[in-house]
Amino acid sequence: MKNEEGKWKFSAILADPAVKARWEKVRKYFFLRESTYDMSNRCNLRCDGCYYYEGDKQFAVENREPGAWRALMRAEKARGITYAVLAGAEPALVPDLLRACFAEMPLGCIATNGVKFIPADVGYKIHISVWGNDRSSERVRGAKDLLLRQLENYHDDARAVFIYTFTPDNIHEARETVEAVAKGGGRVGFNVFSPTVKYEGPLRHTPISLAVVRATMLELLAAFPRQVVYSAYNAVAHTSPQGLHELFGCSYPRANPSTDIGLGRSFRQYRADLSWDRDSSCCVPDTDCRECRHYAAGSAVVTARLVRHAADPDAFKAWLDYVDTYLATWVMGYEKGENLQAKIVMPPVGAAAGEGGRE
Amino acid sequence: MKLEAIQIKVAAVIISELKLEGVTPETFDCELDLIDELGIDSMDMATIVLVLQDEFGISINENDYPGLSNIRLIAEYIGRRLN
Repeated sequence: MKNEEGKWKFSAILADPAVKARWEKVRKYFFLRESTYDMSNRCNLRCDGCYYYEGDKQFAVENREPGAWRALMRAEKARGITYAVLAGAEPALVPDLLRACFAEMPLGCIATNGVKFIPADVGYKIHISVWGNDRSSERVRGAKDLLLRQLENYHDDARAVFIYTFTPDNIHEARETVEAVAKGGGRVGFNVFSPTVKYEGPLRHTPISLAVVRATMLELLAAFPRQVVYSAYNAVAHTSPQGLHELFGCSYPRANPSTDIGLGRSFRQYRADLSWDRDSSCCVPDTDCRECRHYAAGSAVVTARLVRHAADPDAFKAWLDYVDTYLATWVMGYEKGENLQAKIVMPPVGAAAGEGGRE
Repeated sequence: MKLEAIQIKVAAVIISELKLEGVTPETFDCELDLIDELGIDSMDMATIVLVLQDEFGISINENDYPGLSNIRLIAEYIGRRLN
């Protein structure tokens, strides 16, 4: 089972038929190579701690020409990008640009606040950001009846995943919110508020709030196993006192100087004027890397640490659950399997932050 | 184990894991750049590393991946670890 150094052989870990089947399922998607695109500099909400309205990217002049976006997507495909993440500020405000992207790049996702319906012919996954119940949303995002509107817009929509962002203030509202989404047959993923570099508001997590978030995530996962798209290892990875960068070594260019292979080589974060800058490129620009626990970041950062997690069967099952969750959240048509690992598994120790990003 | 034998074994792993067609371990160009010319990405590389570790009973350090850009370099690396 183990090699001469006493380490688990990968083939021995794969000897478990359930593990082998899940490995074969997820590895079919290793061709995914993402970049992200700010579609507009406008938004119909103003949320506390919004990462879009910090730094220079908010001042980019919008390119509203669908032809220019189609040309960009063609160029992106030519350099190997296979997956588009359309974000900032509010993509739903520019449906023609979304159609242009989808026409060229068939796999992708849109991050939206859900106020405005995205036409059904844009066949990307749609992540609808939820920040608590309607009272909290009104307070933090200045929007009335937001969850109600989100649910009306995306009721019974296979593209939709409602992403509940845990702040220290809304943990106790998670259950009622998940219940409301689940009642309509919707699916829920979890995010953890990650402050921007200059954020000084009250939503920054503490070790205590993170521990409560973890317990709440696990409780909701157990209570709503079909609607909550998550795993125990997701909860661990995103609620540890250390951020994702410290735990796993972030692979995105902003935190990773290596251009040899992986995200450090291929990832770009385009602004609304179609420009990009390697030094600021990551999935949530202007977020404080030390406290980044963002779900989008983890999808790449944890997934990239395949070798580190293949150290023993428990860690590898946890990693498979994480990747299965990521694919079900981000890829149209991918269905999540039952989690393989119910135990709490701590992230494996690897290279220190700054040395990572090479997988 | 001689370098040539290691190269053939490495090529066989890469062909198998990447499901490459039209090439055999004996005809695989050992100088072909796996990233720039073959187009493999980080997850492919990680998978290949796991299988090579099994095949040769060695550990391959994460920090060494960038230097493993063709079959000759991988074989030389493995040869050093075996000795």
